Amino acid sequence: MATKKRYGFVINVSRCIDCRACLVACSVENNVPMNHTRIWVHDLGVQGQFPILQREFIPWNCMHCEHPPCTEVCVSGATYKDPDTGLVLVDQQACIGCGFCVDACPYDVRYLDEKRGVVDKCNACLQRVEVGMQPACVATCVGGSRMFGDLNDPNSEASIALKNATNIQRLDYENGKVDTDPNIYFINSEALGEEVVLQSGILPRPPQYHLEEVGWKKVLVPAVFAAIGASFLVQATFFTKQLLEGEKEFEE
Amino acid sequence: MLETKISRRDFLKLGGAAFGALTASQLVAPPVAQAARRFIDDPNGDGYIPTMCEMCVWRCGVKAKVDEGRIVKLDGNPDHPHSRGKLCARGQSGLMNTYDPDRVLTPLIRVGKRGEGKFRRVSWDEALDFTAEKMLQIKEKYGPEAMVFSSTHNLSQVQFENLLNGFGSPNYGTQRSLCFNAMITAFSLTYGVEEPARNYEDVQFMLLTGRNMMEAISTSETSLMVDAIARGAKLVYLDPRFTKTASKSAEWIPIRPGTDSAFLLAMINVIVSNELGDCEFVKQYVVGCDDLPEAMKEYTPEWAESITGVPAATIDRIAREYAAAGKHALAHPGWRTSNFINSFQTERAIATLNAISGAVLRPGGCLDTESPEASSVPLGKPPQPPYPRISALRLDGVPWKYPLVPLKLGVFQELRDAVLSGKPYQAHGWFISRQNPVLAIPDRKRTLEALAKMDLIAVVDIIMNDSAWFADVVLPEASYLERYDPLHVVDGKIFIRQPVIEAQGDAKSALMIYKELGERLGLGDYFQYIDEEDYLQQQLAPLGLSLDELKVKGYLDPQVQQEEPAEIVFNTPSGKIEIYSETLANAGFSPWPTWVEPPYPKPGEFYLLTGKVGQHTQFGTQNNQLLHKYEDPPFIWIHPSVAQERGIQTNDWVEVTSPVGQVKVQARVTEAIRPDCVYMTPGYGHLSKGLRVAYGHGASDSELHVTYTDPISGGQALSETFVSLKKA
Repeated sequence: MATKKRYGFVINVSRCIDCRACLVACSVENNVPMNHTRIWVHDLGVQGQFPILQREFIPWNCMHCEHPPCTEVCVSGATYKDPDTGLVLVDQQACIGCGFCVDACPYDVRYLDEKRGVVDKCNACLQRVEVGMQPACVATCVGGSRMFGDLNDPNSEASIALKNATNIQRLDYENGKVDTDPNIYFINSEALGEEVVLQSGILPRPPQYHLEEVGWKKVLVPAVFAAIGASFLVQATFFTKQLLEGEKEFEE
Repeated sequence: MLETKISRRDFLKLGGAAFGALTASQLVAPPVAQAARRFIDDPNGDGYIPTMCEMCVWRCGVKAKVDEGRIVKLDGNPDHPHSRGKLCARGQSGLMNTYDPDRVLTPLIRVGKRGEGKFRRVSWDEALDFTAEKMLQIKEKYGPEAMVFSSTHNLSQVQFENLLNGFGSPNYGTQRSLCFNAMITAFSLTYGVEEPARNYEDVQFMLLTGRNMMEAISTSETSLMVDAIARGAKLVYLDPRFTKTASKSAEWIPIRPGTDSAFLLAMINVIVSNELGDCEFVKQYVVGCDDLPEAMKEYTPEWAESITGVPAATIDRIAREYAAAGKHALAHPGWRTSNFINSFQTERAIATLNAISGAVLRPGGCLDTESPEASSVPLGKPPQPPYPRISALRLDGVPWKYPLVPLKLGVFQELRDAVLSGKPYQAHGWFISRQNPVLAIPDRKRTLEALAKMDLIAVVDIIMNDSAWFADVVLPEASYLERYDPLHVVDGKIFIRQPVIEAQGDAKSALMIYKELGERLGLGDYFQYIDEEDYLQQQLAPLGLSLDELKVKGYLDPQVQQEEPAEIVFNTPSGKIEIYSETLANAGFSPWPTWVEPPYPKPGEFYLLTGKVGQHTQFGTQNNQLLHKYEDPPFIWIHPSVAQERGIQTNDWVEVTSPVGQVKVQARVTEAIRPDCVYMTPGYGHLSKGLRVAYGHGASDSELHVTYTDPISGGQALSETFVSLKKA
């Protein structure tokens, strides 16, 4: 999908020292619950036999795919590819927390926030980017491994790093039906081979399309919308009631 | 194991039993309810307040984002040379220290037995009156020297020292002998500077002797080293462990523990016997250069191979590569160098390598022999009278037992042992500020025994650390985001730590705690300031600078002209770099860097190594939930061959036994360690039930460490403890 900007991440793998400043920064900036994380540093582990050893760390997060499988399955339209920034975003006001997108993502970057009942994921700290700052993970990256910028702009830091890279890899997921075309570029890695896997070989994984697979789409989608409508009505009633009572209290 | 696990139910039972008193579980103040709603003015109007980090001692600049009186994010301040816009994991987590649900927010006086965790909430007046009264009783009965004061290096140290010196006690415990005594003593003797700064701009070759820069993170220095590697500088790294720094090095040398100095002495031998050093510089500025080849004669690479296990050819090659880089080669001085009795000699050898390569030469030299903290910015301070004369001996043996240990470094472990032995006299009170001796000093059982002998234990901290858990009175300090501290000068600029939210609960700044206690002790003249702002204004007065402007910008540049000296002069007796040290010779030690044989483990025993991780600072951050979230489980590292022999697999529980203690800890079987070593991350195995995240998590290395002290530097030798392993 062609977007005005194509925000993406360039990760200089050789510079990551696994200090995890990015992980903490992201958790704080985005109020991520203690049992979840939006971003990761994947440890390839100590490779080899003492004393000939090697170890690399791969920082990663939502790939902000050009063809994201998550948007396809979203029944409420909450998950979308933003035409301005190119970022894959969740409108949490619209999200009903059905979790289909969580299963559809080949990279497992989404989680269901049980408390709020909505799906959450990396939004590239759009709230910071909009005011001219870097995403929290990038701004604080001690090794200078994480970079972010508009890949449509040849002069962005990310584009320049990509141009000067000794090697470039992506975690594209392609299976005939899907080609995610991710917007994270891993550069300057010694250990990352042709077959890149994250999280002990689990990722990327085939997307799971609940709706198509079980053929419930026709039944489920209207049902879901009916449910949203109903819950909205109930909420609205309570809200109005609260508002009125609140005002009463205020008057007293 | 000393600690016994208690279940949640026991915990509550404990609470029920203590009628009218508080247990740890009740100390907890809900952070949101307690969060102050008195807003601090937003000086820039952009929602960010500049201040300074205190998650370690590097002191990065911070920009704190505050929303309606609540801190929502911390960013590195781009204007501060230590942060350069970045914060490490600990710095990023700093607001969780402030909002830790286990914060102590009111003064507490113990009501149960020591270590039972029963306290009652009291007013500041009651807590300070109680503390002062007890201290004065001790002074009257046993003399002022019977009070021990200890504190870990921080910005309000100046006023802490007023408390100690004004009171008249010579007994000052710092963390330094457990950390960097070997490095500081060696560099002070050789260069006349405590800690030379490193210059990475022109570095081409870096030799790190156990300096795990990618995990023992100082934000700017770590960043600069990664930059240097990316630029093509070669990193050679000596460490028995394959750390994250090893994974970034061009060459990792898993040297036999305790033999670093043999490796380095052989490098010196190669360089001087082949005349590969900067001879012109050496002749002009170095004492002992003529005799150095003779003094190093026996330290051949072949000799070193037999000791270190590193091939002679490798040592020879590295020495030549190092020399070829000239002043662009950096032999890093290191930091926590409390490893072996001979670590002082390792540091002397590092100092020598930097001398013969001309690393102190400008421009482009890799070592600045001016201390980075040194400044000619003439800050003022409140007036104060001279200290009373102190004639009592120091309990830590400086200088009567340890003649070369700088007074301000001291020998903390010796102080603890003197409390136990009662010699040369018995201490009766211990005032502890921002420090956790229970976990910090080796041989925890002995530290607990020493505390048990005290008539008074007073602790200043923000949480119920393990020493506070055993205290009689706990004085709650405001966190670094809630208080002012004295100003800090870096690179000629003055930086401020200022509150970004009002202090929660009754917490107070150390400046005010020390002052209010000092006044009760009759020491008011040493605390001539009205409040924190007045203190800072008195500091700025001679420069005619405005505190308001400093608060807005976070720093001020007083534009003090730093004069470059025309000639390089070193602050040593000879004014030169003293590879040959007359001072050492006069004290009866070898005047040359020299080989001192370390002890080796017997078959079936292993070196117990400890070191840093990037997610924690010493013994104080394990209760921080954000750091807990992203830490590695604190498992003991064991080489696969050793694990296999004992039927140990990753996650299995292992019994680790040293001459002084035993712990149970889970195993991480890994190729990343020499077969003759095991490794534990320090700072775990907390005893305080007032730390609900950290209590009972992991095992304590100080439970295992034996106390061994270097007679020259006073440094503790942490890696000389040998342990045996058994599947639990």
